[in-house]
Amino acid sequence: MQVVRSDLVRPWLATAARLLLGGVLVVAGVLKFPDPAAAVRSVRAYQLLPEPLVAPVAFGLPAVEVVVGLALLAGVAVRAAAVAAAVLMVVFLVGIVSAWARGLQIDCGCFGGGGQVAAGETRYLSETLRDTGLLMVALALARWPHSRLALANRLETPTPMSTTP
Amino acid sequence: MSTSSKKEAARQRIAEKRAAEAAARAAEQRRRRTVVGGVVAAVVVVVAVVVAVVVQTSRTSTAADAARPGGTSAGGNGYTFSVGTGPVTVDVYEDFQCPNCKAFEDAAGATLEQLQQAGTVTIVYHGMAFLDSSQNDDYSTRALNAAAVVASDAGTAAYQQFHDLLYAHQPDERTGSGLTDDQLIAYAEQAGATGEDVATDIRDLVYGDWVEEATDQASKDGVTGTPTVLVDGTQLSDLSADGLRTAVEDAAA
Repeated sequence: MQVVRSDLVRPWLATAARLLLGGVLVVAGVLKFPDPAAAVRSVRAYQLLPEPLVAPVAFGLPAVEVVVGLALLAGVAVRAAAVAAAVLMVVFLVGIVSAWARGLQIDCGCFGGGGQVAAGETRYLSETLRDTGLLMVALALARWPHSRLALANRLETPTPMSTTP
Repeated sequence: MSTSSKKEAARQRIAEKRAAEAAARAAEQRRRRTVVGGVVAAVVVVVAVVVAVVVQTSRTSTAADAARPGGTSAGGNGYTFSVGTGPVTVDVYEDFQCPNCKAFEDAAGATLEQLQQAGTVTIVYHGMAFLDSSQNDDYSTRALNAAAVVASDAGTAAYQQFHDLLYAHQPDERTGSGLTDDQLIAYAEQAGATGEDVATDIRDLVYGDWVEEATDQASKDGVTGTPTVLVDGTQLSDLSADGLRTAVEDAAA
């Protein structure tokens, strides 16, 4: 009975994980487009990248977030998108934790904004916990990518030999 | 072995062979689908990144021949205005819409100007504009542009006076709609900027590109929040009048 139930439940959990992770990535990416100058300042505030790389990362990273997020929402290339999302989360975590460790006073700029924060109003702990949680979700989804309501399920040509994975 | 069982065995071998071939075909199909999918995904990501970088770069680039205000700090980068001649340099990074900047000005602004008038400090004003919103009609940018117009027209003492007027009348960051251009023009006149172009230069955001560059320059200077106050290059953590006076005395000693 246990096995049957987990087979029924797990694809729906994967769907929930896809929607959560994809939704967060799309929103985070889209919010960085309206004010590109702020995106540049936000990336520069981490003081990790040489100046020539700051703008390309500030403009390119949101595009990657949106593409990966849309793939997760639609349910195509779910495993690859989940792995990409996990990599993104690791990159964000490295940035946030290093800023924290260096004592920088910045906002992570995760959902837009220019990285400015009033002294004493940094939220490193909550930012770290949030991204760690999302990293766990991404890794679980990469391990069990099969989900309900996925576009890929419809594109898949049904082969007579195949059994449901 | 009987004939029928031999036939049976042969049939089974053929069936097994066919099944193996079908499995191989399916595996090949899956592999091809994975490769094609991977290539498509990579192309989509690369195209999205290239388009985003190109579009956003063009949106953030400022004109090379953009208008620049006069009266900026001698030997500076063209984005600051200096007042006073004292030996201790106090750099002040502020946004005219930033409430914490107003709090600093209310608490320590008068002390800072006394120290400047006493010949102890040179104040270097670094304007920033990052609190624009549709609600305040891009007030941060309009205010810094107007301040640059004032400095250009009437010098840095007038800039300081205009700066003080804007903080004294700062509109609320969340609910306010920014000062209107007419109000900015009136305060500019009050500060001594009476030139005939002042009003049009304020309305037309003549230094709009310069404001963008000034904000970017502050970020390059490592400023991530306002107000940021540096006393001879060291960031001031106690933004009270006493904190400022102590830091200046230490730097002068």
